[in-house]
Amino acid sequence: MARTTRILIGLVAVAAIAGLLFVALRSPGRQRPVAVGVSVRPARGGALTASLRSEPGTYNRYVEQSAAAELLSLLTQAPLVRVDPTTDHLEPWLAESWTRSDDGLTYTMHLRHGVTFSDGSPFSSADVLFSFAALYDPRVNAVLAPDTYAGGRPLTVEAPDPATVVLHLAAPAAAGLRLIDGVPMLPKHRLEKALAQGKFRAAWSAATPLQDIAGLGPFVLTEHLPGQRLVFSRNPHYWRHDAAGTALPYLDRLTVEVVSDQNTEALRMQQGQIDLMANGEIRPEDFVAFRRLAAQGALRLIDAGVGLDPNLLWFNLSPAGSADPRNPWLRSRSFRQGLSCAIDRDALANAVYLGAAVPIYSPITPGNTKWYAPVRPACDHDLLKARDLLSAAGLSDRNGDGQLEDAAGVPARFSIVTQQGHTIRQRTASVLQEQLRQIGITVDIAGLDPGALFDRWSRGDYDAIYFGVQSSATDPALNPQFWLSSGNFHFWNPRQPSPSTEWEKQIDDLFTRQARSLDLAERQQLVTEAQTVLVTELPAIYFVAPQVTLVTSTRVANARPAPQIPQLLWSADTLADASAR
Amino acid sequence: MHPGLFPFVLRRAGAALMLVLVVSSSVLVLAHVAPPADAFGTDPRVLAAERHRLGLDRPLPQQYAAWLARAVRLDLGESLHFHRPVSGLIRERAGRTLLLGLSALALATALGVPAGILTGSRRGGALAGATRGTSVVLLSAPPLIMSLVVLLIAARTGWLPAGGVPDTAAGAGWGAALAATARYLILPTLALGLPVAATIERLQSASIRAALDEPCMAAARARGVPLQRIVWRHALRLSLGPVLAVYGIIIGSVLSGSFAVEVVLSWSGLGQLMYQALQARDLYLAAGCAAAGAVCLALGIFITDVAAVLVDPRIAGAS
Amino acid sequence: MTSGRLLGAIAAAGLLLAAVVGGAVPPHAPGRQFADFSYAPPMWPHVRDAAGHWRRPFVYPLRLVNRLERTFQEDRAHPVTLRWMSDGALLSGDGPGGPWLALGGDALGRDILARLLAGARLSLAVSLVAAAGALLFGAVLGAVAGFTAGRLDGLIMRTADFVLVLPAIYVVIVLRAAMPLVLSTTQVFWTLAGVLALAGWPQPARGVRAIVRLERRREYAEAALALGAGPARILLRHLLPATRGFLAVQLTLLLPAFILAEATLSFVGFGFAEPTPSWGVMLQDAAQAGVLAETPWLAAPAAAIALSVLALHLLVQNSPAAGPSTVLDSKVNQIS
Repeated sequence: MARTTRILIGLVAVAAIAGLLFVALRSPGRQRPVAVGVSVRPARGGALTASLRSEPGTYNRYVEQSAAAELLSLLTQAPLVRVDPTTDHLEPWLAESWTRSDDGLTYTMHLRHGVTFSDGSPFSSADVLFSFAALYDPRVNAVLAPDTYAGGRPLTVEAPDPATVVLHLAAPAAAGLRLIDGVPMLPKHRLEKALAQGKFRAAWSAATPLQDIAGLGPFVLTEHLPGQRLVFSRNPHYWRHDAAGTALPYLDRLTVEVVSDQNTEALRMQQGQIDLMANGEIRPEDFVAFRRLAAQGALRLIDAGVGLDPNLLWFNLSPAGSADPRNPWLRSRSFRQGLSCAIDRDALANAVYLGAAVPIYSPITPGNTKWYAPVRPACDHDLLKARDLLSAAGLSDRNGDGQLEDAAGVPARFSIVTQQGHTIRQRTASVLQEQLRQIGITVDIAGLDPGALFDRWSRGDYDAIYFGVQSSATDPALNPQFWLSSGNFHFWNPRQPSPSTEWEKQIDDLFTRQARSLDLAERQQLVTEAQTVLVTELPAIYFVAPQVTLVTSTRVANARPAPQIPQLLWSADTLADASAR
Repeated sequence: MHPGLFPFVLRRAGAALMLVLVVSSSVLVLAHVAPPADAFGTDPRVLAAERHRLGLDRPLPQQYAAWLARAVRLDLGESLHFHRPVSGLIRERAGRTLLLGLSALALATALGVPAGILTGSRRGGALAGATRGTSVVLLSAPPLIMSLVVLLIAARTGWLPAGGVPDTAAGAGWGAALAATARYLILPTLALGLPVAATIERLQSASIRAALDEPCMAAARARGVPLQRIVWRHALRLSLGPVLAVYGIIIGSVLSGSFAVEVVLSWSGLGQLMYQALQARDLYLAAGCAAAGAVCLALGIFITDVAAVLVDPRIAGAS
Repeated sequence: MTSGRLLGAIAAAGLLLAAVVGGAVPPHAPGRQFADFSYAPPMWPHVRDAAGHWRRPFVYPLRLVNRLERTFQEDRAHPVTLRWMSDGALLSGDGPGGPWLALGGDALGRDILARLLAGARLSLAVSLVAAAGALLFGAVLGAVAGFTAGRLDGLIMRTADFVLVLPAIYVVIVLRAAMPLVLSTTQVFWTLAGVLALAGWPQPARGVRAIVRLERRREYAEAALALGAGPARILLRHLLPATRGFLAVQLTLLLPAFILAEATLSFVGFGFAEPTPSWGVMLQDAAQAGVLAETPWLAAPAAAIALSVLALHLLVQNSPAAGPSTVLDSKVNQIS
């Protein structure tokens, strides 16, 4: 190579690096502020674009349990009664009013008059009967069915006349009609044949022509480009009106873009291509960028309070786990207590959520004001006490190397399985690993995709799992799958034929009592007691619950943010486009 | 037309078909061997029924035969993950990858060939040196790095959209759609095209130099023909052959590089789809993606092979 | 040796040194989290203080101003002088105000420099093992092909051509996806090395075959054959040594490709996983436009990768054993 060439190569390299450094260290450029249209009263018309990270696999809500299916149902269908997540009140919806019998076993509901499906055919109690028949049909095996059980049994439904429906419960249910919030009413005239032929599961699959689908919701699905977008248009037959008598929904059109990647979603939000996110929660690390755009008036940030569905670390207490001869201390209560005590929750909130989270100790977070109780384990971030508890579990530093050993001298070590690619969960696991290292316990982290994680969990092949599931219900009575030892989401030892420990039996009792009680104060007392047992035994450890910040474009008007998913679209019929006139 | 061209083309087409077949089959087999992954919270019975409906529970040879029989009719089965026919998914994503790949290839050729001629024919000189230097630096910044660099620039300056695919909302005219596509295409094209341009520059440069070293060229120079004229009239044609010959491999590396660019810059194309398919253990989708990728690759190789023969007919006889 | 190669050699040696020494004496443990230093900016050493006086190299400690907005302030009043060989590190600038994070902190407040060094070690080790595997595999197959000729030769070479033309990253990803997703770091190490070796053998095989074919016709090989030496003996004693130079060049060509492949795989989640300090894993944080814009130092591993690749390229440039076309052929097939 010629000498000049070598010099030039050097120069080019230096120039390239200098250029990059310049770009890197220069302050970020200003994005153009977007003109803001503010309207005092929501106007009818206009269109908004939302994003959704997944896509419904079917238009049949009864057979699919997913965020996408739930959103689709919220937009195009309607239940008999609805819980307003901002007030936590049960509201009349398709049922205008109802009465409860004194024993709490019978509800008589009066249906709203003049309600029609989006295809123009009238809605009556026959549709309600049909919907419940489909819900409880064993061939349908509906995903929504178990959550509606009262006293472990399905509801029975009667229709004395076209405008009245009577529900019978097998046992008094504290949740009352909240049991059927989320069960959309389906058109009998469209689906009757499929149910009779035993083909209801396959009915309204994603291949169904959209005009064959009818619902009672504010919108109808008019276009579905798989993998790209779902377009919802105003349902001209929708039955709701606002206080001024304007027919709802306000929006002419709501487009839901399918954006599977979270980074892309954040980018499109920042670039103004979407107005709101179905899961509107922003990640702590995106906060700065959104804050700047909000300061420029391009976006609006909304504080939605403390999140309701915290992640949890649970230990394997299943028979498969107990059969594992390694690490018997992993199943000891004082180990779990010591571990919970060793964790600095504030530091965790700082590291993972950049401070935008609050410490919690039990599954019900401060965001759930009606049911929250400040129950705490006996010890919180006290390393001395944590060491005592751990040595009660048989773990102490026997050779002075700073690492804890069990009675046989084997160093204390266990693994935490968490979700690969979920930054919050992965980072939390890293922080736990680091904090536990300081007390002398070695943690291995295995990141799995949700499918593999589920597989491990259902086989009982793990030490501990850090994960979380979303639920839209605030009332603990609607979460029996978690509390009861027979439940599917009794994470540490699901589907027990009978409670395998004394304390699980105790929780089962407390839970069953509160689920049957109709007195709120008594129920709150019982739920708090159940939580107290839980934080004493700590089969699952809770660390922090995030402060949820939502983001919307300035075009979104009349938003009523709720802390749970879908934070804004739950009230899609009253969302408005600020730029519409 | 050269007499040996037709059999040559046939042979090459056969090889291309073979490539597609082998690639998609081996992916199908490998994905079958891979441990399964199920969706969290899905009822195992429902999942089993779904797998049965899609024929995923049959033994591999049966499944393979059925897949092949359907693939001939361009029916690639249904995706377990997306609940959609694979062919539709692929059509939509392959279009994006093709767009990105072709624009990157065009950029690389437009920059690389002239730059290579410059550096190959001139040993000294500031311009040639600077070009050569740029090229060495770019070679060390493959698409993964380049896409992070362009992402950084875009995010800092806000000049161009920092990743994502154009929002082709309904109602927009052709002109607007084209402009939007162009805006979104620029960064991924740079990230993918620049390293390839450097590769082509190096190849073209070496090739021109080799051509100039041929005895006939030396003789021409001795006769006093100006260097410029030798380069543009004679050496260029001679040098294009070897460069064209590796275009097949370059197309492979563009497809390779497109993966990193698609992931970093959220350009949801075939690479991203394949990645999602493999992560979800979506058998038919993975095999379909592999088949689509192999078709692109085989087609590219086939075209360059034929082009190489048209430039230099001797190749047809040799291979 | 041209000065370009000299530069490359120095850089490559530096890289190796960083991986070995830097990994052994890190500024901080790569997993150590400094809770108040999430996304902390790099702390450059200064030699001139605020008052304009020249001093021994020192740093200004950082103070957290707003955690959620990730803003920090330099504490100009309490500069910390850098110390050699103290606190168990080569160079330490930790003070009462907090640690010295020369290249800044990552999302969890871990020392990016320490992770970079640990990553260099991991990355280089995987690439070296994989390259050794690919060379061994390629040399054996190439030698067999070149020595036997005929049908076996055809089969091996067809396979090699086939693998060569495939987009390598997909081959690697498909192979990796066929393995269980959850593996311990050690298992990932060997899996990656194996998978990369499987994708990288064709180029060495082609070259070795060509050399063996050439050498086989030479007189000394003919003579050895006439003297009754077995084919294995001829291959090992006479023919393979002739490929040594070629293999050395191939090593420097495979290394950068493998470094990149490891980074790409880990980046997309098919390689090492958090919290293992690998360059690819570290880049996951950097690939978010919003985060990268505010904290560009998270992209430090990208610079490390580019510099390593550049160093190895310069090393092999114009090397007599390489010849321009080898460099290019291999370059074209680079795994990226």
